[in-house]
Amino acid sequence: MQSRAAHWLGLPALALLTLFVFIPLVSVLRFAVLDWSPTGSSYVGFANFHRLLNDPQLVSSLKITLFFALMTLPSFLWLSRSIALAIEGTPPERLIKVLLFMPSLITIAGSSIAWYLLYQPDFGFIYELTGFALPWSSTPWAALVYVVMFTLWQSVGYGVLVVSAALKGVPESAKEAARIDGATENQIRHFIVSPLLRPTLAFLSIIGGILSIQSYTAVFLLTKGGPFGSSSVIGYYLYETSFKFFQLGYGATITILILIITLIVAALQARVLGLGMARGQDFS
Amino acid sequence: MIIFYRIITALFCFFVALPILWLCYAAFMPQDAILYLDMTDIGFSLNNFVEAHKSGIWRALGISLFVSSVTVAGQLIFGLMAAYAIRQGLPVLWPILLALALPSELLMVPLYREFQILKMLDTLQVMIIPFLASPLIIFLLLQAIRRIPQSILDSARLDGASEIRILWQVVAPLLRPEMLAAGILAFAAHWNLVLFPKVMVSNENFRTVQIFLNDLVANRPLDWGVLAAASLIATLPLVVLYLVFEKRIITVFETSFKG
Repeated sequence: MQSRAAHWLGLPALALLTLFVFIPLVSVLRFAVLDWSPTGSSYVGFANFHRLLNDPQLVSSLKITLFFALMTLPSFLWLSRSIALAIEGTPPERLIKVLLFMPSLITIAGSSIAWYLLYQPDFGFIYELTGFALPWSSTPWAALVYVVMFTLWQSVGYGVLVVSAALKGVPESAKEAARIDGATENQIRHFIVSPLLRPTLAFLSIIGGILSIQSYTAVFLLTKGGPFGSSSVIGYYLYETSFKFFQLGYGATITILILIITLIVAALQARVLGLGMARGQDFS
Repeated sequence: MIIFYRIITALFCFFVALPILWLCYAAFMPQDAILYLDMTDIGFSLNNFVEAHKSGIWRALGISLFVSSVTVAGQLIFGLMAAYAIRQGLPVLWPILLALALPSELLMVPLYREFQILKMLDTLQVMIIPFLASPLIIFLLLQAIRRIPQSILDSARLDGASEIRILWQVVAPLLRPEMLAAGILAFAAHWNLVLFPKVMVSNENFRTVQIFLNDLVANRPLDWGVLAAASLIATLPLVVLYLVFEKRIITVFETSFKG
């Protein structure tokens, strides 16, 4: 028995989402045809879109975002899975989970300070200790690696929690049956546990994909997109264009591009989450 | 093979712990020891905390605590209502999943214009009202609400309870662990916003703790001890929150991702 009387309870949330997600989502189309700065705006037709198609910095941001995702995602999944398997059922399991989850709790600007104090090339602790100047601020590729490492440092704890939760869901009877049939622990991991982890890893990779598109906060705190724009991921490029150079009309156009990319990833996400929910209902 | 995984785990734990330990250590180091990096002079000093205290961090911390708590409280109330409505057949799951993928920082350009019109720029409200409906919380609570057997709701209804009463007196108590876990995740997400407050709020009096720390690095890049002490102070609320509720958070994770 479902109750229609309860439907109005959804109203406040829907009104808020309409006002602050769906209306901006539509109105961004209107701003994209303007040359718009905080002082005024004028209609420029498709000039912004034309610029979008001929913007080498945009292309380079997209490439950097892709590199970032290609470096972050596989290592994120691999580390989450390996660590969850390694600690499963061992005495320090809980302690390790608490430790690995800690970075996502440290105030993010505080985390970036911790990294700054440790790894800053000119006077960070590592430099003072070893005299080796870390290449983050001089070598273009290294800055991006630095952001990747920071992101892994921050998020692997979450991945371990999720994989570990899925591991606890692997039925003991399946492993027991394999053991009786003479399978080794490695074989059990390979043929029984790993296939059962696949949906979880798919879920994590979609989450990670979306996080990659949104990796601008770490970039802002750690490298400000530098050196020479080499770590300027697409989200950061959007921020700089819109709120540092105040080209808001062009910013709106870039927003549209990022929205299209995000929605493609989100469509995948909805499918995976949808599958997960269907499964959840079967169990209840 | 498992040995290899364990080695990786140990290395990664070291990698995770190092910046945290260094932060704690630097916060208590005497100013001179940092300046000349004389490791033999391992002193203990609270001077950095005194300096951080003078820098005005408490105000920023208070602002952050206020906006994040009010936001999460609202998110839980509206999220619970929306999740219940969806469970009762309101067909709005798709728009919510869509909103889940669109964080407000992605929509900052159109939102900036909207806040201009609504005269919300440079106010405290701008850090609260746009976040009051959280698709993530709605989604997590919906997962949990689906596990409540229909018979419980039906029997409350047969007893003549109104929908609002069922929600507050039957559903909400059953969802307490999930609300707690979702609330803490949402608190951390809101607490850690950086670009959004940076763009929407320029009034120094309304600086959140993130913006405060970011400005502190820019203004005093060499004051390691003060930077570290300020970071530790800013981190305290979340860590306390997590350590108090750690067990329940992990349990909720395990039930929502099992199978």
